[in-house]
Amino acid sequence: MSLEELMETLPAYARDLKLNFSSLKQQPDLNEQQTWGTIVAATIASRNAELTQSVLAEAATHLSGPALEAAKGAAAIMGMNNVYYRFLHLTSNANYKTIPARLRMNVIRTHGIDPVDFELWCAAVSAINGCAACVDSHEKVVRDKGMSEEAVLAAIRLAAVIHGLATVLDAESVRAPQPVSV
Amino acid sequence: MLGVGEKFPSYSLTATVGIERDPSTAFKTITDLEYSGKWKVYFFWPKDFTFVCPTEIAGFGKLNKQFLERDAQLLGGSIDSEWVHHAWRNNHPDLKNLPFPMLADIKRELCGQLGILDPASGVAQRATFIVDPDGVIQFVYVTAGAVGRNPEEVLRVLDALQSDELCPCNWHKGEPTLQVA
Repeated sequence: MSLEELMETLPAYARDLKLNFSSLKQQPDLNEQQTWGTIVAATIASRNAELTQSVLAEAATHLSGPALEAAKGAAAIMGMNNVYYRFLHLTSNANYKTIPARLRMNVIRTHGIDPVDFELWCAAVSAINGCAACVDSHEKVVRDKGMSEEAVLAAIRLAAVIHGLATVLDAESVRAPQPVSV
Repeated sequence: MLGVGEKFPSYSLTATVGIERDPSTAFKTITDLEYSGKWKVYFFWPKDFTFVCPTEIAGFGKLNKQFLERDAQLLGGSIDSEWVHHAWRNNHPDLKNLPFPMLADIKRELCGQLGILDPASGVAQRATFIVDPDGVIQFVYVTAGAVGRNPEEVLRVLDALQSDELCPCNWHKGEPTLQVA
């Protein structure tokens, strides 16, 4: 199903999310790569198969090959880092921060696209995954690289709405039980 | 002996890359500029046709895929000629399908510059170097006599070298942010 068709299946109670997504796709604060990379990364982080399938298909028409790979890479690496570094900041044992992480995260260096875009996607995924330290540090990095607060918020709005959409689609897929043959 | 932080020397050597009879395909000239952008794992042994070496070399061969996945090229070498390497690979079942080149440092220039020529025997010591994509040595591992190397240890070190904390997630308030290229 195309993304447009999928959005048409949304129930009435999710009208706000549907409309938010439709306007956020066209917001002027992020360029096309930033917008669609955020959508891809946020979708993967939101863990709904249907949405992931539709978004990836649609995003391929808006993003270059490397940019699409990089957005997926951001969601992948933050899927790991958001857990690890959240632990480091949640625990009151400060010693853990002094022990080497020994986790490969070379995609952060080798993604090959504009670093500010990659960092923005990391920030968006961190917002979804709920790692306070990651949110803080990635927000600082993109602001230091010249991104405006409005642009950062545009990405976070997108991530928030995507996450909401994923939960709706999860709920809707449960509501229709499989017919049982007697 | 060259150490961590020093540049791996320039070289241009004939390498044995196959066991077929045709020298135009079994041999290849390899220089330090080959495999640009990759890590290199060079390991040298004293003499072809001896006993510890095939086990180690085959051991590295078994891990070749894992090295490749980490963007690292394995390169073996000794001061034997490319024909001796060729004969040895044809002669020893464990070496027939070796997936990486054997450098022939017959003039002993590379081993000399690396500082790994054994003063008593005049042949290379059992030395391993991990070299980063900028040509800088990041790990040196040498064993004496007949003590074989542990290729898994070399892989472990390569992993550790490549596991930089590149994420600003470990940034602490008040510290300058990481410079990610």
